[in-house]
Amino acid sequence: MTGKDSAVGRSAPPSHLRVYGVHKRFGGVHALRGVDFEVARGEVMALVGDNGAGKSTLMKVIAGAHTADEGEFWMDDRQVTVNSPHDAAELGIQVVYQDLALCENLDVSANLSLGAEPVSSGWRILPRMLRPIDDLEMEVRAQKAINRLEVRTLKSVRSNVGGLSGGQRQAIAIARAVGTESSVVLLDEPTAALGVAQTRQVLDVVKRLRDTNHAVVYISHNLRDVFEIADRICVLRHGGNVATWSVKDTAPDEIVGAMTRGLDVRDGNAA
Amino acid sequence: MLPETNRTIVDRLRELRQTRFGAFVPVLLALAAIWFYFGVAVPLWDFWSDPDATGIRFIFLSPRNIYNLFMQSAVIATLAVGITIVLLLGDIDLSAAATAGVCAALLGVLVLAGVPGWLACLIVMGVGIVMGAAQGLLVAYVGIPSFVVTLAGLLGYQGLMQKILPTGNLNIGDPFVRSIARVLIPDFWGLVLATALVAFVTALALRRQARRKARGLELDSGLAIWGQVAFFAVLVYAAVITMNSYRSLPLMILLLVALTALVGWVTTSTPFGRSIFAVGGNAESARRVGMNVKRIRVAAFGIVGLMAAIGGIFGASRFGSVSYTAFAGGSLLLESIGAAVIGGTSLFGGRGSVWNAILGALVIGSLGNGLDLSGASAADKLMFSGAILILAVAIDSISRPAGGSPR
Ligand SMILES: Nc1ncnc2c1ncn2[C@@H]1O[C@H](COP(=O)(O)OP(=O)(O)O)[C@@H](O)[C@H]1O
Ligand SMILES: [Mg+2]
Repeated sequence: MTGKDSAVGRSAPPSHLRVYGVHKRFGGVHALRGVDFEVARGEVMALVGDNGAGKSTLMKVIAGAHTADEGEFWMDDRQVTVNSPHDAAELGIQVVYQDLALCENLDVSANLSLGAEPVSSGWRILPRMLRPIDDLEMEVRAQKAINRLEVRTLKSVRSNVGGLSGGQRQAIAIARAVGTESSVVLLDEPTAALGVAQTRQVLDVVKRLRDTNHAVVYISHNLRDVFEIADRICVLRHGGNVATWSVKDTAPDEIVGAMTRGLDVRDGNAA
Repeated sequence: MLPETNRTIVDRLRELRQTRFGAFVPVLLALAAIWFYFGVAVPLWDFWSDPDATGIRFIFLSPRNIYNLFMQSAVIATLAVGITIVLLLGDIDLSAAATAGVCAALLGVLVLAGVPGWLACLIVMGVGIVMGAAQGLLVAYVGIPSFVVTLAGLLGYQGLMQKILPTGNLNIGDPFVRSIARVLIPDFWGLVLATALVAFVTALALRRQARRKARGLELDSGLAIWGQVAFFAVLVYAAVITMNSYRSLPLMILLLVALTALVGWVTTSTPFGRSIFAVGGNAESARRVGMNVKRIRVAAFGIVGLMAAIGGIFGASRFGSVSYTAFAGGSLLLESIGAAVIGGTSLFGGRGSVWNAILGALVIGSLGNGLDLSGASAADKLMFSGAILILAVAIDSISRPAGGSPR
């Protein structure tokens, strides 16, 4: 496949997370048909493609929210298995889902610690699930995560997520992903619901993640944003790879062509 | 946040319901209104409209009636506390009363066969857990909607109860079982207990505030803290003094409060409880952060089964007998679901509290008791309960955050 060479170009940095030949079927729908994907530390890898191309599915598979039917997972030089969100979190993989996956009935600090609530020391006779939550520690952590992202409009980490604006929710979903010990952060269309100023903030956060040596995967439909922040762009189409480009070597027109028509047609046109 | 002037009454209601304390307000208002109506308005009306009356008789608000009211509401409240747990998940349990019936019947049969009372109670509680968890397994692992599973459970357990009690009635004379409803805490110790409780809650609130300060977190206003403590103290002392002025604080009420405190603590302050709220709020996101949603569901149904069994024990103890109509075949189920919902626990999942269930049980109990006192028919009672239930669910629907959770 021609895409293979460009997918792992000679100039590409050594990958931190790499998946090969990922297949995922939902009943009759073959959503991923042998996808290869990689991302290195200190880089933003954009993942683009038409609606239904399989971007979100690939991301969920990497995050352990769906289990791949086939495929190899490598982190640095070690083969790993990701069968649950826990596996992914252990490996330092964190996700900001397209639908944010926040609990609107809980407050900001509870959402930020969801599934990993700190419990008070002591009470060792009780199973962990029944020990008292250290909610002050939880608030301190939440406050730190919020401060790091500089969400100035948020009044209190004790406000319910249900009452927050779209931008604030997005910020909280991002804070949840980067607040924990993570080396890979996947963001699924994080700016789709945001205004100009809030989009700016999210893009700044993504750049800061790259500067702190995270491996960032950024899914978006907005090619202007993609070309601004991404180092490489991976194009998916109908659940398969088209190719991966370095941003320096391509232009939006080429990407749009690859997204809508794939490579072969483009080559045909070029000939 | 909207500017102050643009907020409608619905927005205000919504904001009120979001706060921890504000969720109590609607049910407390309902309770106050019902008590005022039956306790003050009806007696005054009777007095003025009856030229022969020699004095106003405040029967409803008499210590004796309040005492009975609490005892009558205790079984409903126990079941409602359990049902609240599954409502928080966004599920429902229609079989709770039938489970209570089976457990009570089994208890009767066991003590009749000579099993010691305490052991019979433990066995029955275990059976309750199994009966609840079995339904939970069907909901979580087979994926049948809880409405259907527990409707089948309701029918099946009703049948089971009739199998255990072919005559439909059984007297229970076991002293241990009877003592739960009979034992009274001496007046003095009741007051000591109330004082200790208030002191404990105050100390907890102050320690919390001090810790918040030490860690540099935003502080609650002193007014809010002392307001809550004072409110709590008034409730506790009023209840104990009222009980004391008729008889004394019954052990059963104390057990109910202790159980509710335990379940309340588990639901609000442990990772398990947090996961119940998370599943009720957004099950998919709970799953994605790695919570075992299925196991949480089964555990929640197990807790309802346990509370139903305890409700069955309380009922058997209070009536001194087990009858089909008092549990499975009667109005207990609808009253306890009604109590949970009137208390403000959302049918849509993720919002509510077990304490509200107790207040809701008092609303239902007061309504029945008040209508009985004023000589209303069973038909009137049913219609009033229906109206209150609709009102409670309407408040729930209106005060839900606009749009719901995005899917
Ligand atoms: N949970 C699911 N069940 C069934 N089909 C799914 C599910 N998730 C995604 N799909 C299907 O997989 C394909 C890829 O979807 P998705 O990954 O969401 O695309 P994208 O994010 O690139 O727009 C689509 O055809 C979609 O309908
Ligand atoms: Mg998508």
